[in-house]
Amino acid sequence: MKFQIQRETLLKPLQQVIGVVERRQTLPVLGNVLVNASATGLELTATDLEVELQARVGLEVEEPGEITIPARKLFDICRTLPEGVNMSISLKDDRILVQGGRSRFTLATLPASEFPLVEPMAGSRQFAVAQRDFRELIERTHFSMAQQDVRYYLNGLMLELNPDSVRAVATDGHRLALSDMVASVDGAEGQQVIVPRKGIQELVRLLDDSDVQAQVEIGSNHIRVSTPELRFTSKLIDGRFPDYQRVVPKGGDKRVLADRESLRQALTRTSILSNEKYRGIRLNLDPDVLRIQAHNPEQEQADEELEVEYQGAALEIGFNVTYLLDALAALRTGQVELILSDSNSSCLIQEPGTTRCQYVVMPMRL
Amino acid sequence: MPAAASHWERAILLVDMNAFFASIEQRDRPEWRGRPVAITNGLQGTCIITCSYEARAFGIRTGMRLKEARERCPELIQCPADPKRYAATSSAIMDALQAVSPDLEVFSVDEAFLDITRCQRLGTPEQIARQARGAVFAASGLLCSIGLSGDKTTAKYAAKLVKPNGFTVIPPWEARRRLAPVPVTELCGIAAGIGGFLAQHGVHTCGDMARLPISVLARRFGNPGRRIWYMCQGEDPDPVHINVPPPKSIGHGKVMPPDTRDREVILTYLLHMSEKVGARLRRHDMVASRFLVALRTRDGWLGDKPHSAQPMADGRLIMTLCREVLRHHWRGEGVHQVQVTALDPQPVPRQGDLFAAPVAEPKRNAVMDDINRRFGEFTLAPARLLGRSSMPNVIAPAWKPHGHRQSV
Repeated sequence: MKFQIQRETLLKPLQQVIGVVERRQTLPVLGNVLVNASATGLELTATDLEVELQARVGLEVEEPGEITIPARKLFDICRTLPEGVNMSISLKDDRILVQGGRSRFTLATLPASEFPLVEPMAGSRQFAVAQRDFRELIERTHFSMAQQDVRYYLNGLMLELNPDSVRAVATDGHRLALSDMVASVDGAEGQQVIVPRKGIQELVRLLDDSDVQAQVEIGSNHIRVSTPELRFTSKLIDGRFPDYQRVVPKGGDKRVLADRESLRQALTRTSILSNEKYRGIRLNLDPDVLRIQAHNPEQEQADEELEVEYQGAALEIGFNVTYLLDALAALRTGQVELILSDSNSSCLIQEPGTTRCQYVVMPMRL
Repeated sequence: MPAAASHWERAILLVDMNAFFASIEQRDRPEWRGRPVAITNGLQGTCIITCSYEARAFGIRTGMRLKEARERCPELIQCPADPKRYAATSSAIMDALQAVSPDLEVFSVDEAFLDITRCQRLGTPEQIARQARGAVFAASGLLCSIGLSGDKTTAKYAAKLVKPNGFTVIPPWEARRRLAPVPVTELCGIAAGIGGFLAQHGVHTCGDMARLPISVLARRFGNPGRRIWYMCQGEDPDPVHINVPPPKSIGHGKVMPPDTRDREVILTYLLHMSEKVGARLRRHDMVASRFLVALRTRDGWLGDKPHSAQPMADGRLIMTLCREVLRHHWRGEGVHQVQVTALDPQPVPRQGDLFAAPVAEPKRNAVMDDINRRFGEFTLAPARLLGRSSMPNVIAPAWKPHGHRQSV
């Protein structure tokens, strides 16, 4: 294997795949990146056995070949070489020689055959979607995923495939985020898959804001997202996502209309004096006014008053302020709608007049 | 600072009860006054928990075996510990001290720090310290040793100087000079480990510390290291902690008849510990989801750290975890101690859950807790515990009259 490459051309794909290379891995080969040089160019692949990332660059290769190289060392070398330098990478016996300007590095390798690649997808369903739309779908929901919950099926994002839409749902049991995206999907309605948290975090990093299409394939055990430059493959979580429809409240009789930015700012200020660990705040609703209150163990107290559109009965309810702020940050409209029923029932937050994005937050006992 | 300064920037006093448990026994049994008394854990206990000053004169020390103590002093009186009475006396003393100053830190069952800085309008620190000593005697009929200084470490050192019934004042401006010749390991909180590190750096007495840059300690021990640097110069910055910090774990263990191999007996001991841990979690409105279940055998500890599906405080559920651990990790080895600990105690969660209705604490627990609060621990208990060990409870050194450590 032998090829010449400009530092920047190599650095970008390395940056894209380095995220899945864990710093301490049990299998030595998982610390390596698989480099495949062929007539079509260069492919770099990294994996942690859960998420596999492959980046491609077009390149004239002098001698094709395939080998694995220590990923972080190659990345650090590439990163610290001077800008614009031309690098030459070649395999000599079982060592890789990296040259750039007047620097030379010899790195150990492991054979490409040892690198664990995901088997080809079987029985998959496909759809194509603009990268921007897919990224937006994830950004509007992923913050509600659980972290290391014993209910392992919550530690990921659920994608529900329908003939003309894809729905994403994330929940940690305390709050839930739901968003829909228009897409034409072949196959039956209502198939659900759960993409693990780690995969979603990588995916949101890799998708850009462009109209360029991403091809999404969903198999029985894997999801694969391909763009012209990248191929992302993640295992799916083998579990049943809870019946989320059941917990989206239907009959709330207390409807509040508030300016999103004012509410967000008032909550942010109040949160400064909420308990750092539990983040509890108290909402007091009265006709046309919302009062927000927080206090902490040091007996410091914050009070806010906000004009809202509200005509129902008085209500006092407590929430973890982080959950409300996350939902408000994910919405885009100037106004938001909060639908409540009583102080023990969940609150529904959405954009007025549409159910495209819905956020459900369970209250806190005060 | 003028030696006659009447207002101290900080005034902290340590009250240390003299041979606390033994003094209580001598107070209540006049015939034992002036005689060597040793407290043991029940009449079966062979290890001396504490002893009176008369016994100490024979060279008897805490932790000594009764047999050895009897060799030194054949007329030694053995007295089984009565933790409930000691706890009641301790509570009375702490309440009395609280009346002197609200800034009270209960340091152990027989020691307390009192910050009297804010009491100085009522008298000089020395007058208030004498008042505290009077309050202790009025509340308990017992003598204590008092150390008074401008910081906790110097106050504790001062209290140790004269025992029993001592009263030692080291004004804050004399603290540095008085501590200078004292070996660093004499101070509370500097044990062999840190002492060894300091010795390597040529610090043997507190006075040597000024020559060592504070950064050396900070690099090795972080903030506790910085505190040690100040401590040795009579400027311990640690405040009197009024609140008991939340517990890092809540656990109970018990020594069993040696080499127990009967599964049923082990289960009974585990149930006993599970019920204790559950009751104690509930008493403090806490729940836990990670537990330690361990059995001590001749070859060391075996056991596991099982998780429960949801945070809970139910002895019966804790026991199901114990059964699991026993099934997977015990192969019939002889057991001589069991331990059950809640590793992540946390306040009962107030955050509602979308999918799980809040687990209602079984009603029987509330009933059991009510009855046992009024009539004593294990008045109402699972039937299996009727045949439990008769070994009395032991009072822990970390016992506190209020909060989660109130567990005799």
